[in-house]
Amino acid sequence: MDAIAPLPAIEISGLYTAYDKADVLTDVNIVAPAGQITCLLGSNGAGKTTLIRSILGLTPPHAGSIKVFGEDVAGLPTHRVIAKGVACIPEGRRMFPKLTVEENLRLGAYQEPAEAEIRRRLAEVYSVFPRLAERRGQLAGTMSGGEQAMVSIGRGLMGKPRVLLIDEPSLGLSPLYVKENFRIIENVRAQGLTVFLVEQNVHQTLAISDSGYVVSGGRVVAQGSAAELRNNADVRAAYFG
Amino acid sequence: MDLLGQYLVNGIMLGTIYALVAVGFTLFFGVLDVIKFSHGDVLMVGAFAGFTAALGAAALGFTNPFVQLAASVLFAVSGTALLGAAIAKWLILPLKNAPRLNILLITLMLGTALRESVRLFYPDGSNPKAFPALLPSTAWQFGNFTLRADSALLVIAGIAVIVGLHMLINRTRLGLAIRAVAQDEETARTMGINYTLIVLVTFALGSGIAAVAGVMNGLYYNEVNFGMGLLLGLIGFSAAIIGGLGNLYGAILGGFLFAALQMIGAVALPFASAYKDVFAFAVVIALMGWKPTGLIPERSSERV
Repeated sequence: MDAIAPLPAIEISGLYTAYDKADVLTDVNIVAPAGQITCLLGSNGAGKTTLIRSILGLTPPHAGSIKVFGEDVAGLPTHRVIAKGVACIPEGRRMFPKLTVEENLRLGAYQEPAEAEIRRRLAEVYSVFPRLAERRGQLAGTMSGGEQAMVSIGRGLMGKPRVLLIDEPSLGLSPLYVKENFRIIENVRAQGLTVFLVEQNVHQTLAISDSGYVVSGGRVVAQGSAAELRNNADVRAAYFG
Repeated sequence: MDLLGQYLVNGIMLGTIYALVAVGFTLFFGVLDVIKFSHGDVLMVGAFAGFTAALGAAALGFTNPFVQLAASVLFAVSGTALLGAAIAKWLILPLKNAPRLNILLITLMLGTALRESVRLFYPDGSNPKAFPALLPSTAWQFGNFTLRADSALLVIAGIAVIVGLHMLINRTRLGLAIRAVAQDEETARTMGINYTLIVLVTFALGSGIAAVAGVMNGLYYNEVNFGMGLLLGLIGFSAAIIGGLGNLYGAILGGFLFAALQMIGAVALPFASAYKDVFAFAVVIALMGWKPTGLIPERSSERV
Protein backbone atom coordinates (compact mmCIF):
# COMPACT_ATOMS: atom_id res chain seq x y z
CA MET A 1 0.00 0.00 0.00
CA ASP A 2 0.90 3.62 -0.36
CA ALA A 3 3.14 4.48 2.60
CA ILE A 4 2.14 8.13 2.82
CA ALA A 5 -1.60 7.45 2.66
CA PRO A 6 -3.63 8.94 5.53
CA LEU A 7 -6.15 6.90 7.51
CA PRO A 8 -7.72 4.47 5.05
CA ALA A 9 -11.39 5.02 4.21
CA ILE A 10 -12.13 1.36 4.75
CA GLU A 11 -9.93 -1.12 6.52
CA ILE A 12 -11.26 -4.64 6.84
CA SER A 13 -9.29 -7.18 8.82
CA GLY A 14 -9.88 -10.83 9.59
CA LEU A 15 -13.50 -10.64 8.47
CA TYR A 16 -15.72 -13.71 8.68
CA THR A 17 -19.36 -13.50 7.64
CA ALA A 18 -21.80 -16.38 7.57
CA TYR A 19 -25.34 -17.08 6.47
CA ASP A 20 -26.87 -19.71 8.74
CA LYS A 21 -23.48 -20.70 10.16
CA ALA A 22 -21.91 -21.48 6.76
CA ASP A 23 -19.05 -19.04 6.22
CA VAL A 24 -19.40 -17.00 3.07
CA LEU A 25 -16.44 -14.74 3.77
CA THR A 26 -13.28 -16.24 5.26
CA ASP A 27 -10.50 -14.10 6.74
CA VAL A 28 -10.99 -11.19 4.37
CA ASN A 29 -8.48 -8.33 4.65
CA ILE A 30 -9.04 -5.27 2.49
CA VAL A 31 -7.82 -1.69 2.61
CA ALA A 32 -9.47 1.05 0.55
CA PRO A 33 -7.27 4.16 0.70
CA ALA A 34 -9.03 7.51 1.02
CA GLY A 35 -9.66 9.40 -2.18
CA GLN A 36 -9.06 6.43 -4.45
CA ILE A 37 -11.13 3.92 -6.38
CA THR A 38 -10.62 0.46 -4.98
CA CYS A 39 -12.31 -2.34 -6.82
CA LEU A 40 -13.43 -5.78 -5.79
CA LEU A 41 -13.57 -8.30 -8.61
CA GLY A 42 -15.01 -11.76 -8.57
CA SER A 43 -17.49 -14.00 -10.26
CA ASN A 44 -21.05 -14.67 -9.11
CA GLY A 45 -21.19 -16.21 -5.67
CA ALA A 46 -17.64 -15.16 -4.77
CA GLY A 47 -18.91 -13.14 -1.79
CA LYS A 48 -18.74 -9.62 -3.23
CA THR A 49 -22.24 -8.59 -2.29
CA THR A 50 -21.90 -10.27 1.11
CA LEU A 51 -18.88 -8.08 1.76
CA ILE A 52 -20.91 -4.95 0.96
CA ARG A 53 -23.71 -6.23 3.20
CA SER A 54 -21.22 -6.82 6.00
CA ILE A 55 -19.88 -3.27 5.76
CA LEU A 56 -23.42 -1.88 5.80
CA GLY A 57 -24.48 -4.01 8.76
CA LEU A 58 -27.18 -5.79 6.76
CA THR A 59 -25.45 -9.13 7.29
CA PRO A 60 -23.25 -8.48 10.32
CA PRO A 61 -19.93 -10.35 10.41
CA HIS A 62 -19.28 -12.78 13.23
CA ALA A 63 -15.57 -12.05 13.48
CA GLY A 64 -13.14 -9.38 12.40
CA SER A 65 -13.26 -5.62 12.19
CA ILE A 66 -14.47 -3.09 9.61
CA LYS A 67 -13.00 0.35 10.17
CA VAL A 68 -14.37 3.40 8.39
CA PHE A 69 -11.81 6.19 8.75
CA GLY A 70 -10.49 4.38 11.82
CA GLU A 71 -13.83 3.74 13.54
CA ASP A 72 -14.97 0.15 13.87
CA VAL A 73 -18.47 -0.23 12.44
CA ALA A 74 -18.69 -4.03 12.45
CA GLY A 75 -22.04 -5.07 13.88
CA LEU A 76 -23.48 -1.55 14.13
CA PRO A 77 -27.07 -1.09 12.91
CA THR A 78 -27.12 0.12 9.32
CA HIS A 79 -28.26 3.69 10.01
CA ARG A 80 -25.27 4.21 12.32
CA VAL A 81 -22.87 2.94 9.65
CA ILE A 82 -24.44 5.43 7.21
CA ALA A 83 -23.94 8.16 9.81
CA LYS A 84 -20.17 7.57 9.59
CA GLY A 85 -20.28 8.90 6.03
CA VAL A 86 -20.98 5.74 4.04
CA ALA A 87 -23.44 5.54 1.17
CA CYS A 88 -24.32 2.68 -1.12
CA ILE A 89 -25.44 2.39 -4.70
CA PRO A 90 -26.92 -1.08 -4.46
CA GLU A 91 -26.92 -3.89 -6.95
CA GLY A 92 -29.98 -3.80 -9.18
CA ARG A 93 -30.50 -0.09 -8.36
CA ARG A 94 -33.21 -0.83 -5.78
CA MET A 95 -35.46 2.14 -6.49
CA PHE A 96 -38.44 2.86 -4.31
CA PRO A 97 -40.77 2.28 -7.26
CA LYS A 98 -43.81 4.06 -5.83
CA LEU A 99 -41.95 7.15 -4.74
CA THR A 100 -41.19 9.99 -7.09
CA VAL A 101 -37.71 10.62 -8.41
CA GLU A 102 -37.32 13.55 -6.05
CA GLU A 103 -38.55 11.54 -3.05
CA ASN A 104 -36.02 8.83 -3.90
CA LEU A 105 -33.27 11.43 -4.04
CA ARG A 106 -34.40 13.03 -0.78
CA LEU A 107 -34.15 9.66 0.95
CA GLY A 108 -30.48 9.62 -0.01
CA ALA A 109 -30.08 12.69 2.21
CA TYR A 110 -32.31 11.30 4.96
CA GLN A 111 -29.79 12.03 7.71
CA GLU A 112 -29.31 15.64 6.61
CA PRO A 113 -31.64 17.81 8.72
CA ALA A 114 -31.19 21.14 6.89
CA GLU A 115 -33.70 21.66 4.08
CA ALA A 116 -31.50 24.30 2.44
CA GLU A 117 -28.61 21.82 2.22
CA ILE A 118 -30.91 19.13 0.79
CA ARG A 119 -32.09 21.57 -1.89
CA ARG A 120 -28.50 22.49 -2.71
CA ARG A 121 -27.62 18.81 -3.18
CA LEU A 122 -30.75 18.21 -5.26
CA ALA A 123 -29.68 21.04 -7.55
CA GLU A 124 -26.24 19.46 -7.80
CA VAL A 125 -27.64 16.04 -8.74
CA TYR A 126 -30.01 17.63 -11.25
CA SER A 127 -27.07 19.41 -12.87
CA VAL A 128 -25.27 16.07 -13.29
CA PHE A 129 -28.44 14.35 -14.53
CA PRO A 130 -30.64 16.94 -16.27
CA ARG A 131 -32.99 14.10 -17.24
CA LEU A 132 -33.88 13.59 -13.58
CA ALA A 133 -34.78 17.26 -13.19
CA GLU A 134 -37.30 16.88 -16.00
CA ARG A 135 -38.77 13.83 -14.31
CA ARG A 136 -38.59 14.79 -10.68
CA GLY A 137 -42.30 14.20 -10.12
CA GLN A 138 -42.47 10.88 -11.93
CA LEU A 139 -42.73 7.58 -10.02
CA ALA A 140 -39.31 5.95 -10.12
CA GLY A 141 -40.82 2.56 -10.95
CA THR A 142 -42.09 3.85 -14.28
CA MET A 143 -38.67 4.88 -15.57
CA SER A 144 -36.31 2.99 -17.86
CA GLY A 145 -33.42 0.98 -16.47
CA GLY A 146 -30.88 3.60 -17.45
CA GLU A 147 -32.88 6.39 -15.85
CA GLN A 148 -33.28 4.32 -12.70
CA ALA A 149 -29.52 3.91 -12.62
CA MET A 150 -29.25 7.71 -12.63
CA VAL A 151 -31.66 7.93 -9.70
CA SER A 152 -29.68 5.28 -7.85
CA ILE A 153 -26.38 7.09 -8.39
CA GLY A 154 -27.92 10.47 -7.59
CA ARG A 155 -29.44 9.05 -4.44
CA GLY A 156 -26.03 7.73 -3.38
CA LEU A 157 -24.51 11.17 -3.87
CA MET A 158 -27.32 12.96 -2.00
CA GLY A 159 -25.91 11.81 1.34
CA LYS A 160 -22.60 13.62 0.67
CA PRO A 161 -20.76 10.47 1.71
CA ARG A 162 -17.06 10.16 2.38
CA VAL A 163 -17.12 6.58 1.11
CA LEU A 164 -19.33 5.36 -1.69
CA LEU A 165 -19.95 1.64 -2.04
CA ILE A 166 -21.04 0.75 -5.54
CA ASP A 167 -22.34 -2.75 -6.22
CA GLU A 168 -22.29 -3.87 -9.87
CA PRO A 169 -23.27 -0.59 -11.52
CA SER A 170 -23.08 -2.08 -15.00
CA LEU A 171 -25.42 -5.00 -14.31
CA GLY A 172 -28.26 -5.10 -16.81
CA LEU A 173 -27.42 -1.80 -18.50
CA SER A 174 -26.71 -1.08 -22.14
CA PRO A 175 -23.02 -0.43 -23.03
CA LEU A 176 -23.76 3.26 -23.49
CA TYR A 177 -25.09 3.65 -19.96
CA VAL A 178 -22.27 1.50 -18.58
CA LYS A 179 -19.73 3.84 -20.14
CA GLU A 180 -21.59 6.86 -18.80
CA ASN A 181 -21.73 5.34 -15.31
CA PHE A 182 -18.02 4.67 -15.23
CA ARG A 183 -17.36 8.25 -16.34
CA ILE A 184 -19.50 9.50 -13.44
CA ILE A 185 -17.69 7.25 -10.98
CA GLU A 186 -14.40 8.77 -12.11
CA ASN A 187 -15.84 12.26 -11.64
CA VAL A 188 -16.95 11.34 -8.14
CA ARG A 189 -13.42 10.31 -7.27
CA ALA A 190 -12.10 13.53 -8.74
CA GLN A 191 -14.20 15.36 -6.13
CA GLY A 192 -12.26 13.60 -3.37
CA LEU A 193 -14.67 10.79 -2.55
CA THR A 194 -13.45 7.30 -1.83
CA VAL A 195 -15.06 4.70 -4.05
CA PHE A 196 -15.29 1.02 -3.28
CA LEU A 197 -16.45 -0.56 -6.50
CA VAL A 198 -17.73 -4.10 -6.79
CA GLU A 199 -17.84 -5.38 -10.36
CA GLN A 200 -17.67 -8.28 -12.75
CA ASN A 201 -16.80 -6.06 -15.67
CA VAL A 202 -13.02 -6.39 -15.37
CA HIS A 203 -11.72 -4.28 -18.25
CA GLN A 204 -13.65 -1.11 -17.57
CA THR A 205 -13.31 -1.48 -13.81
CA LEU A 206 -9.54 -1.82 -13.83
CA ALA A 207 -9.31 1.07 -16.29
CA ILE A 208 -10.66 3.52 -13.70
CA SER A 209 -9.47 1.86 -10.46
CA ASP A 210 -6.33 2.68 -8.52
CA SER A 211 -6.07 -0.71 -6.89
CA GLY A 212 -8.15 -3.79 -6.42
CA TYR A 213 -8.82 -7.16 -4.91
CA VAL A 214 -10.02 -10.40 -6.44
CA VAL A 215 -12.26 -12.64 -4.38
CA SER A 216 -13.15 -16.23 -5.01
CA GLY A 217 -14.97 -18.63 -2.72
CA GLY A 218 -15.15 -15.98 -0.04
CA ARG A 219 -11.40 -15.37 0.13
CA VAL A 220 -9.14 -12.71 -1.30
CA VAL A 221 -7.11 -14.56 -3.92
CA ALA A 222 -5.26 -11.64 -5.49
CA GLN A 223 -4.60 -7.99 -4.79
CA GLY A 224 -2.54 -5.14 -6.08
CA SER A 225 -2.59 -2.01 -8.17
CA ALA A 226 -4.86 -1.95 -11.18
CA ALA A 227 -1.86 -2.45 -13.46
CA GLU A 228 -0.62 -5.41 -11.42
CA LEU A 229 -4.02 -7.04 -11.50
CA ARG A 230 -4.25 -6.59 -15.24
CA ASN A 231 -1.03 -8.53 -15.63
CA ASN A 232 -1.69 -11.08 -12.90
CA ALA A 233 -1.77 -14.58 -14.35
CA ASP A 234 -4.60 -15.77 -12.07
CA VAL A 235 -6.81 -12.85 -12.91
CA ARG A 236 -6.09 -13.32 -16.57
CA ALA A 237 -6.95 -16.98 -16.27
CA ALA A 238 -10.15 -16.24 -14.42
CA TYR A 239 -11.42 -13.37 -16.52
CA PHE A 240 -9.54 -12.79 -19.71
CA GLY A 241 -9.78 -16.37 -20.91
CA MET B 1 -86.50 11.01 3.93
CA ASP B 2 -85.75 11.81 7.57
CA LEU B 3 -84.93 8.19 8.35
CA LEU B 4 -82.65 7.98 5.33
CA GLY B 5 -80.84 11.08 6.57
CA GLN B 6 -80.25 9.49 9.96
CA TYR B 7 -78.94 6.35 8.31
CA LEU B 8 -76.63 8.46 6.18
CA VAL B 9 -75.17 10.24 9.20
CA ASN B 10 -74.91 6.92 11.01
CA GLY B 11 -73.17 5.38 8.00
CA ILE B 12 -70.63 8.20 7.70
CA MET B 13 -70.02 7.94 11.44
CA LEU B 14 -69.42 4.20 11.33
CA GLY B 15 -67.40 4.51 8.12
CA THR B 16 -65.09 6.97 9.83
CA ILE B 17 -64.61 4.65 12.80
CA TYR B 18 -63.98 1.64 10.54
CA ALA B 19 -61.55 3.62 8.41
CA LEU B 20 -59.60 4.63 11.51
CA VAL B 21 -59.30 0.96 12.51
CA ALA B 22 -58.46 -0.18 8.99
CA VAL B 23 -55.59 2.28 8.50
CA GLY B 24 -53.86 0.64 11.46
CA PHE B 25 -53.98 -2.79 9.82
CA THR B 26 -52.72 -1.36 6.59
CA LEU B 27 -49.89 0.63 8.24
CA PHE B 28 -48.67 -2.43 10.16
CA PHE B 29 -48.85 -4.60 7.07
CA GLY B 30 -47.05 -1.91 5.11
CA VAL B 31 -43.96 -1.61 7.28
CA LEU B 32 -43.68 -5.15 8.56
CA ASP B 33 -45.82 -7.39 6.33
CA VAL B 34 -47.63 -8.64 9.38
CA ILE B 35 -51.27 -8.87 10.32
CA LYS B 36 -51.76 -7.87 13.92
CA PHE B 37 -54.96 -9.43 15.14
CA SER B 38 -54.78 -7.82 18.55
CA HIS B 39 -55.57 -4.46 16.91
CA GLY B 40 -59.26 -4.52 17.83
CA ASP B 41 -58.51 -5.35 21.45
CA VAL B 42 -55.86 -2.63 21.58
CA LEU B 43 -58.67 -0.32 20.46
CA MET B 44 -60.80 -1.62 23.33
CA VAL B 45 -57.97 -0.93 25.79
CA GLY B 46 -57.81 2.59 24.33
CA ALA B 47 -61.54 3.06 24.83
CA PHE B 48 -61.25 1.91 28.45
CA ALA B 49 -58.26 4.18 29.00
CA GLY B 50 -60.30 7.09 27.65
CA PHE B 51 -63.28 6.09 29.79
CA THR B 52 -61.09 5.88 32.90
CA ALA B 53 -59.47 9.23 32.19
CA ALA B 54 -62.85 10.92 31.71
CA LEU B 55 -64.08 9.54 35.06
CA GLY B 56 -60.75 10.39 36.66
CA ALA B 57 -60.89 13.98 35.46
CA ALA B 58 -64.45 14.25 36.80
CA ALA B 59 -63.36 12.75 40.14
CA LEU B 60 -60.52 15.28 40.35
CA GLY B 61 -63.09 18.04 40.14
CA PHE B 62 -62.81 19.03 36.47
CA THR B 63 -66.48 19.49 35.73
CA ASN B 64 -66.01 21.08 32.30
CA PRO B 65 -66.88 18.32 29.80
CA PHE B 66 -64.26 19.62 27.35
CA VAL B 67 -61.51 19.16 29.93
CA GLN B 68 -62.80 15.64 30.56
CA LEU B 69 -62.88 14.99 26.84
CA ALA B 70 -59.35 16.30 26.36
CA ALA B 71 -58.11 14.15 29.24
CA SER B 72 -59.94 11.16 27.81
CA VAL B 73 -58.54 11.49 24.29
CA LEU B 74 -55.04 12.39 25.43
CA PHE B 75 -54.80 9.47 27.85
CA ALA B 76 -56.40 6.99 25.44
CA VAL B 77 -54.16 7.94 22.52
CA SER B 78 -50.88 8.16 24.40
CA GLY B 79 -51.48 5.01 26.45
CA THR B 80 -52.52 3.01 23.42
CA ALA B 81 -49.65 4.33 21.32
CA LEU B 82 -47.25 3.11 24.00
CA LEU B 83 -49.02 -0.25 24.12
CA GLY B 84 -48.78 -0.58 20.35
CA ALA B 85 -45.07 0.27 20.33
CA ALA B 86 -44.46 -2.19 23.19
CA ILE B 87 -46.25 -4.98 21.31
CA ALA B 88 -44.11 -4.24 18.25
CA LYS B 89 -40.88 -4.14 20.24
CA TRP B 90 -41.31 -7.21 22.40
CA LEU B 91 -43.68 -9.45 20.48
CA ILE B 92 -43.56 -8.70 16.79
CA LEU B 93 -40.03 -7.51 15.96
CA PRO B 94 -38.37 -10.47 17.75
CA LEU B 95 -40.49 -12.78 15.58
CA LYS B 96 -39.76 -10.90 12.38
CA ASN B 97 -38.07 -13.85 10.72
CA ALA B 98 -40.49 -16.46 12.05
CA PRO B 99 -43.28 -17.74 9.82
CA ARG B 100 -46.02 -15.13 9.37
CA LEU B 101 -48.54 -17.55 10.82
CA ASN B 102 -46.77 -17.38 14.19
CA ILE B 103 -47.20 -13.63 14.43
CA LEU B 104 -50.82 -13.97 13.44
CA LEU B 105 -51.40 -16.55 16.17
CA ILE B 106 -49.45 -14.67 18.82
CA THR B 107 -51.33 -11.44 18.23
CA LEU B 108 -54.61 -13.37 18.20
CA MET B 109 -53.73 -14.77 21.62
CA LEU B 110 -52.53 -11.39 22.84
CA GLY B 111 -55.91 -9.94 21.85
CA THR B 112 -57.67 -12.58 23.93
CA ALA B 113 -55.35 -11.90 26.86
CA LEU B 114 -56.06 -8.15 26.67
CA ARG B 115 -59.79 -8.73 26.41
CA GLU B 116 -59.90 -11.17 29.32
CA SER B 117 -57.62 -8.96 31.42
CA VAL B 118 -60.00 -6.05 31.09
CA ARG B 119 -62.96 -8.30 31.81
CA LEU B 120 -61.33 -9.77 34.93
CA PHE B 121 -59.26 -6.94 36.36
CA TYR B 122 -61.14 -3.77 35.46
CA PRO B 123 -63.65 -3.02 38.24
CA ASP B 124 -66.86 -4.76 37.21
CA GLY B 125 -65.18 -5.31 33.84
CA SER B 126 -67.55 -7.94 32.54
CA ASN B 127 -70.43 -5.47 32.34
CA PRO B 128 -70.79 -2.68 29.82
CA LYS B 129 -69.83 0.78 31.08
CA ALA B 130 -71.82 3.91 30.38
CA PHE B 131 -69.45 6.28 28.61
CA PRO B 132 -70.16 9.82 29.83
CA ALA B 133 -71.75 12.15 27.29
CA LEU B 134 -68.97 14.70 26.92
CA LEU B 135 -70.13 16.37 23.73
CA PRO B 136 -72.80 19.09 23.53
CA SER B 137 -76.26 17.63 23.11
CA THR B 138 -77.49 20.43 20.83
CA ALA B 139 -79.39 19.31 17.76
CA TRP B 140 -80.32 21.11 14.57
CA GLN B 141 -83.55 20.53 12.78
CA PHE B 142 -83.62 20.47 8.98
CA GLY B 143 -87.20 19.76 8.06
CA ASN B 144 -87.80 16.26 9.35
CA PHE B 145 -84.12 15.51 9.64
CA THR B 146 -82.33 16.07 12.94
CA LEU B 147 -78.58 16.58 12.96
CA ARG B 148 -77.08 16.12 16.40
CA ALA B 149 -74.07 18.25 17.27
CA ASP B 150 -72.24 15.35 18.90
CA SER B 151 -72.49 13.19 15.76
CA ALA B 152 -71.34 16.07 13.58
CA LEU B 153 -68.37 16.79 15.87
CA LEU B 154 -67.36 13.13 15.95
CA VAL B 155 -67.43 12.84 12.17
CA ILE B 156 -65.45 16.07 11.78
CA ALA B 157 -62.87 14.91 14.32
CA GLY B 158 -62.54 11.51 12.68
CA ILE B 159 -62.12 12.97 9.23
CA ALA B 160 -59.61 15.47 10.60
CA VAL B 161 -57.56 12.53 11.93
CA ILE B 162 -57.70 10.84 8.52
CA VAL B 163 -56.64 14.03 6.73
CA GLY B 164 -53.90 14.55 9.32
CA LEU B 165 -52.62 11.04 8.72
CA HIS B 166 -52.65 11.63 4.97
CA MET B 167 -50.55 14.79 5.46
CA LEU B 168 -48.19 13.03 7.83
CA ILE B 169 -47.60 10.17 5.41
CA ASN B 170 -47.26 12.32 2.29
CA ARG B 171 -45.78 15.61 3.43
CA THR B 172 -43.32 14.85 6.21
CA ARG B 173 -39.90 13.28 6.53
CA LEU B 174 -41.35 10.69 8.92
CA GLY B 175 -44.02 9.80 6.37
CA LEU B 176 -41.39 9.48 3.64
CA ALA B 177 -39.42 7.11 5.88
CA ILE B 178 -42.56 5.04 6.60
CA ARG B 179 -43.30 4.75 2.88
CA ALA B 180 -39.70 3.85 2.11
CA VAL B 181 -39.66 1.12 4.77
CA ALA B 182 -42.97 -0.19 3.45
CA GLN B 183 -41.62 -0.48 -0.09
CA ASP B 184 -38.15 -1.86 0.57
CA GLU B 185 -37.03 -2.35 4.12
CA GLU B 186 -33.41 -3.11 3.34
CA THR B 187 -32.81 -0.23 0.94
CA ALA B 188 -34.56 2.07 3.42
CA ARG B 189 -31.98 1.03 6.00
CA THR B 190 -29.13 1.85 3.65
CA MET B 191 -30.58 5.35 3.24
CA GLY B 192 -29.77 5.82 6.92
CA ILE B 193 -33.30 5.28 8.21
CA ASN B 194 -33.46 3.84 11.72
CA TYR B 195 -35.65 0.90 10.80
CA THR B 196 -36.57 -0.24 14.31
CA LEU B 197 -37.56 3.28 15.30
CA ILE B 198 -39.77 3.68 12.24
CA VAL B 199 -41.51 0.37 12.96
CA LEU B 200 -42.16 1.36 16.57
CA VAL B 201 -43.42 4.81 15.58
CA THR B 202 -45.71 3.27 12.96
CA PHE B 203 -47.19 0.85 15.50
CA ALA B 204 -47.64 3.69 17.98
CA LEU B 205 -49.31 5.76 15.28
CA GLY B 206 -51.71 3.00 14.15
CA SER B 207 -52.59 2.09 17.73
CA GLY B 208 -53.14 5.72 18.75
CA ILE B 209 -55.50 6.15 15.81
CA ALA B 210 -57.36 3.02 16.91
CA ALA B 211 -57.76 4.61 20.35
CA VAL B 212 -59.40 7.61 18.68
CA ALA B 213 -61.82 5.19 17.03
CA GLY B 214 -62.44 3.50 20.39
CA VAL B 215 -63.25 6.77 22.15
CA MET B 216 -65.42 7.87 19.21
CA ASN B 217 -67.28 4.60 19.41
CA GLY B 218 -67.76 5.07 23.15
CA LEU B 219 -69.05 8.61 22.72
CA TYR B 220 -71.37 7.63 19.90
CA TYR B 221 -72.98 4.64 21.61
CA ASN B 222 -72.47 5.98 25.16
CA GLU B 223 -70.99 2.63 26.05
CA VAL B 224 -67.76 0.69 26.22
CA ASN B 225 -67.40 -3.02 26.91
CA PHE B 226 -64.58 -5.52 27.01
CA GLY B 227 -65.71 -7.27 23.83
CA MET B 228 -66.12 -4.17 21.62
CA GLY B 229 -62.78 -4.74 19.91
CA LEU B 230 -63.74 -8.11 18.49
CA LEU B 231 -66.23 -6.95 15.89
CA LEU B 232 -64.53 -3.58 15.30
CA GLY B 233 -61.21 -5.34 14.73
CA LEU B 234 -62.76 -7.82 12.34
CA ILE B 235 -64.55 -5.07 10.43
CA GLY B 236 -61.43 -2.93 10.30
CA PHE B 237 -59.44 -5.88 9.01
CA SER B 238 -62.08 -6.67 6.38
CA ALA B 239 -62.11 -3.02 5.34
CA ALA B 240 -58.33 -3.02 4.94
CA ILE B 241 -58.50 -6.25 2.91
CA ILE B 242 -61.25 -5.16 0.52
CA GLY B 243 -59.48 -1.84 0.03
CA GLY B 244 -56.18 -3.56 -0.71
CA LEU B 245 -53.97 -4.33 2.29
CA GLY B 246 -51.00 -1.97 2.47
CA ASN B 247 -52.80 0.87 0.73
CA LEU B 248 -53.87 3.71 3.02
CA TYR B 249 -56.60 5.01 0.74
CA GLY B 250 -57.86 1.50 0.12
CA ALA B 251 -58.33 1.09 3.86
CA ILE B 252 -60.27 4.34 4.13
CA LEU B 253 -62.39 3.41 1.14
CA GLY B 254 -62.93 -0.07 2.60
CA GLY B 255 -64.08 1.39 5.91
CA PHE B 256 -66.71 3.59 4.31
CA LEU B 257 -67.71 0.81 1.94
CA PHE B 258 -68.32 -1.58 4.82
CA ALA B 259 -70.43 0.99 6.64
CA ALA B 260 -72.38 1.58 3.43
CA LEU B 261 -73.01 -2.14 3.10
CA GLN B 262 -74.28 -2.30 6.67
CA MET B 263 -76.61 0.60 6.00
CA ILE B 264 -77.89 -0.99 2.80
CA GLY B 265 -78.37 -4.20 4.75
CA ALA B 266 -80.32 -2.33 7.40
CA VAL B 267 -82.46 -0.12 5.16
CA ALA B 268 -82.84 -1.43 1.67
CA LEU B 269 -83.11 -5.16 2.03
CA PRO B 270 -86.30 -7.04 2.76
CA PHE B 271 -85.16 -8.62 6.01
CA ALA B 272 -84.66 -7.45 9.56
CA SER B 273 -81.85 -4.96 10.18
CA ALA B 274 -80.24 -7.44 12.56
CA TYR B 275 -78.99 -9.18 9.42
CA LYS B 276 -76.96 -6.16 8.31
CA ASP B 277 -73.63 -7.69 9.38
CA VAL B 278 -74.48 -10.97 7.68
CA PHE B 279 -75.18 -9.06 4.49
CA ALA B 280 -72.08 -6.86 4.77
CA PHE B 281 -69.70 -9.76 5.43
CA ALA B 282 -71.31 -11.81 2.65
CA VAL B 283 -70.60 -8.98 0.22
CA VAL B 284 -67.03 -8.79 1.57
CA ILE B 285 -66.60 -12.48 0.79
CA ALA B 286 -67.94 -11.93 -2.72
CA LEU B 287 -65.68 -8.91 -3.21
CA MET B 288 -62.66 -10.91 -2.14
CA GLY B 289 -63.54 -13.62 -4.61
CA TRP B 290 -63.84 -11.00 -7.34
CA LYS B 291 -60.75 -8.96 -6.44
CA PRO B 292 -58.49 -11.04 -4.18
CA THR B 293 -55.90 -8.26 -3.86
CA GLY B 294 -58.44 -5.60 -2.96
CA LEU B 295 -59.98 -2.70 -4.80
CA ILE B 296 -56.76 -0.66 -4.82
CA PRO B 297 -54.07 -3.34 -4.87
CA GLU B 298 -50.79 -2.19 -3.41
CA ARG B 299 -48.50 -5.14 -3.58
CA SER B 300 -49.31 -7.45 -6.42
CA SER B 301 -47.27 -5.59 -9.03
CA GLU B 302 -44.36 -4.99 -6.72
CA ARG B 303 -43.09 -8.50 -6.29
CA VAL B 304 -40.10 -8.59 -8.59
